[in-house]
Amino acid sequence: MPKPAAETITFTLDGLEVDSPAGLMLADAAKLGDVEIPVFCYEPKLGQPVGACRMCLVEIEGIPKLQTACSTPVRDGMVVLTQTDRVKEAQEAILEFLLINHPLDCPVCDKGGECPLQDITMGWGGGRSRFIEPKRHFVKPLALSPLIAIDRERCILCYRCVRFSQEISEDYQLVLQERGAHSYVSTFDGHPYVAPFSGNIIELCPVGALTSQAYRFRARPWDVEGSGSVCTLCPAQCNVEFTVRDERVMRVLARDHAGVDDGWLCDKGRFAYQSVHVDSRVTHPLLRVDGELVPVSWDRALDEAAAGLRSAGADTGAIAGGESTNEEGFLLAHLMRGGLSSSHLDSRTGGTLSRDLHAALHAPQRQACVEDLEFAHALLVLDCEPVDDAPVLDLRIRKGIRRNAVKLAVATSRPSSLDPNAAAVARFAPGAGEAFCAALNAALGGEDTVVDELAAAAGADPAEVQALAAVLTDAGEDVVIVYGERLTHGPRGEHAARALLNVAGRVITAGHDGCGLLELPAGANGRGLREVGVLPNAGPGLTPVTSPGLDSGGIAAAAASNQIEALYLLHVDPLRDMPNRRLWKKALARATMVIAHAAFLTDGLWEHANVVFPAESYAEKEGTVTHPDGRVQRLRPAISRPDAVRGEWQVLADLCKRLDHDPGVLTGPMTSATLFAAIPFLAGLTLDEIGGRGVRWPERPQAAAWPQADGGPFGLEAPPFAPTPNGDLRLGTFRSIWAAPEVELSPALKFLRAHQRAELCPADAQRLGVAHGDQVTVSSNGSQVNAIASLRASVPGGTVFLESGLEQDSASELDAGLVEITRA
Amino acid sequence: MLIVQRPSPPGAAGGTYRAFGETLRGMKTTLARVIEGPKTISYPEEKVPVYPRFRGRHKLHRFEDSGLEKCVGCSLCAAACPADCIRVVAAENTPENRVSAGERYAAVYEINLARCIFCGYCEVACPFDAITMGQDYEMSDYNRSDLIFTKEMLLDEPLERTPLRNDGE
Repeated sequence: MPKPAAETITFTLDGLEVDSPAGLMLADAAKLGDVEIPVFCYEPKLGQPVGACRMCLVEIEGIPKLQTACSTPVRDGMVVLTQTDRVKEAQEAILEFLLINHPLDCPVCDKGGECPLQDITMGWGGGRSRFIEPKRHFVKPLALSPLIAIDRERCILCYRCVRFSQEISEDYQLVLQERGAHSYVSTFDGHPYVAPFSGNIIELCPVGALTSQAYRFRARPWDVEGSGSVCTLCPAQCNVEFTVRDERVMRVLARDHAGVDDGWLCDKGRFAYQSVHVDSRVTHPLLRVDGELVPVSWDRALDEAAAGLRSAGADTGAIAGGESTNEEGFLLAHLMRGGLSSSHLDSRTGGTLSRDLHAALHAPQRQACVEDLEFAHALLVLDCEPVDDAPVLDLRIRKGIRRNAVKLAVATSRPSSLDPNAAAVARFAPGAGEAFCAALNAALGGEDTVVDELAAAAGADPAEVQALAAVLTDAGEDVVIVYGERLTHGPRGEHAARALLNVAGRVITAGHDGCGLLELPAGANGRGLREVGVLPNAGPGLTPVTSPGLDSGGIAAAAASNQIEALYLLHVDPLRDMPNRRLWKKALARATMVIAHAAFLTDGLWEHANVVFPAESYAEKEGTVTHPDGRVQRLRPAISRPDAVRGEWQVLADLCKRLDHDPGVLTGPMTSATLFAAIPFLAGLTLDEIGGRGVRWPERPQAAAWPQADGGPFGLEAPPFAPTPNGDLRLGTFRSIWAAPEVELSPALKFLRAHQRAELCPADAQRLGVAHGDQVTVSSNGSQVNAIASLRASVPGGTVFLESGLEQDSASELDAGLVEITRA
Repeated sequence: MLIVQRPSPPGAAGGTYRAFGETLRGMKTTLARVIEGPKTISYPEEKVPVYPRFRGRHKLHRFEDSGLEKCVGCSLCAAACPADCIRVVAAENTPENRVSAGERYAAVYEINLARCIFCGYCEVACPFDAITMGQDYEMSDYNRSDLIFTKEMLLDEPLERTPLRNDGE
């Protein structure tokens, strides 16, 4: 459903005429007339109001009883009174009732000082308590989960947390038990409330009933300062506010931005800040001396790194991880292409796409924005799992389905958490995205004869493909396709991209607002890094390069065969983040010089790095990142860098200088300005323009400078058949939201760290004699991974799914399409 | 044009009075004090007693019966402090380590007496009467950092070195 245009109406508020969009709830409309109506339970982000707290009572002419402003839509000509004696009496009475059972332990309550109940009692309360009887008591404090403490005495039963769990994150865990004054919030059977978005209820709670365990008693509101920035732990790039006390991040709050996160955060974003302050962080430049990494001075580390790079010259390969900012990527490209005349640099993990395909896939006229997910007629989730790849977008998709009747079509290999909400679901074999897109393209084009064959190649059910195509064509003109970067991975990535563009050509009108493609990159700033030139075949702004270099897989192979001497790893540990761990192990061992920017010494760096530059954390960084929908956002330092850590733009610039290729930048903002000047479609952009909310460059007039490319339709080759299991199992991989070093290092999140589990369907498990929870060995080509068997009825037969991105037993150990499973 | 009116010149007697009269009037006060004797106090051997409501160095208190600290680390004193000289870092009581009566206690409680202006707002803000202003005003030290008083120093029984003035004195 497209975003409805709001019509304006006029109503009278306390004798003054106020203009307001029609359909707005009175509690919101009153703000337009500078009147604040106190509310506890009302929160527009939670959807339909419930009118549970009765705090917002107002008098409306023509209605004898007082009405709740939160659930009364404003109408033309309505006469509303908010300051009469009746209203005041009601407000005082409601507050008196709410405070009857509310303990007066504000001095020990973490909410004290930023508590709506305190504020509203000061503003609208009677100021006197008549209640002398004993209050209701519960055991307190209790752990609702390892992340959240619950104090049931403080609860005012506003339903916010329950509504969040039931209607926003749809994990259906929190419920209100018992009746009347005995009601309390809990999970149904008392199990811990563990869900990817559970932390949001802390921020939603209008009293101190739900508080953060990690922030418990750490600071009070007047001890701290808020500092706005952007979270770079995943491509969703939620806008966050760091709460800082004594140069330490104490907590992370959401900074509501409708164009990015809608005011929610995932638990990784909310609690992984703790990894900024762990003891194991690298805070000095390290140099390998006699086989050991020892702290050295900056000058020595830079000199050694420069000497290593100079001797390797053009035989240097560089990989940039997703956390790198645009500026760092730009300087890395400057260092590689200018200082070393090497084009072997990449930011994608699974092979390269041609410049034209990049340009076509991300063309401004074909680009969907985050808000389009909510207002589309139909949405196709293709080969990605939003809750793992960009968690907060999962909530946006659910919101669209619930409130705006978006028709969801899910086409993935692994069963998706969005399946229950989908109008059509299709499964295909892992890695067969190309064949699936081709089948879908044929189904959309009415070429029914080839659909069956192509669906068979994809390992999909032709009827499912047809049903999916019907959802996309019948819903309406606004169709958004959300696809994962992994669709275009692998040696046939370009074919998959062409098939995807063909599908897009059939359902998306290029240049029409409200529809388009949205890619979920593998790295947080994946899109930005490509646009600033961290690609083997394109320079800054996707300019053509004369001699393309090797992609990440090629760099690994070349290093393993001694053709590449030096490796530059910017925020990436290939053993963890890259496929094909065996090859990378060999590559790292053979390379004579491995230079890394890292905050933590993960296994690969501990063993193989020669020079380690300490990396800034995202709370210390300065620079810009680009959201998957093209929004350039600004990172601002919230805390100072610990010990000897330096700005990484400065480290890269210093290295460039030592290699006689000075980029001429002296400050962080100067680097940004140089970057914007070098990229035609970002021309004229300034940090001031980006500000706190970011700028979508595809909406700026300069977007016309984006390279023109053929967007299809293309003639498609016949895709290869997905491997037939034949007794073995097809291997599918996924990276869970919790598979990150930040999660493992944060004390609060440690309990969620990902462990390898082999997801397979009960029929296969029975055939193999494996039961749920068994220790199994997954092997192929002589390498093996230990895992715990996890039986899921929704997993398609003949397939097993393993997690990648783990420290040990990661799926990247296995490099074949088919695997064997045996009980350990 | 401004016309200045001057009094007529005084005569001989008037002139003499004008020269010495005012001086004598001043000398009257001086001579009267001479008779009273010296008021100087030889500090620090002798001390001026302070009034009961004098605001000197702070004290933190414990419950007399249980010995637990009254302070729960709520930081309201720090919020009220106009000189920003109080720093509180709270922590949670555990059954093994119970420090205060509530859920939380002050793990760090510091007052920078070099900054304190002795306004007493902290005492007013405290919801548990855990901090009060004492009588001691002798806090000078050789070193600025020694003027940052920690929780242990503030909880200790202060040296009774300042005499208190009785009612009506």
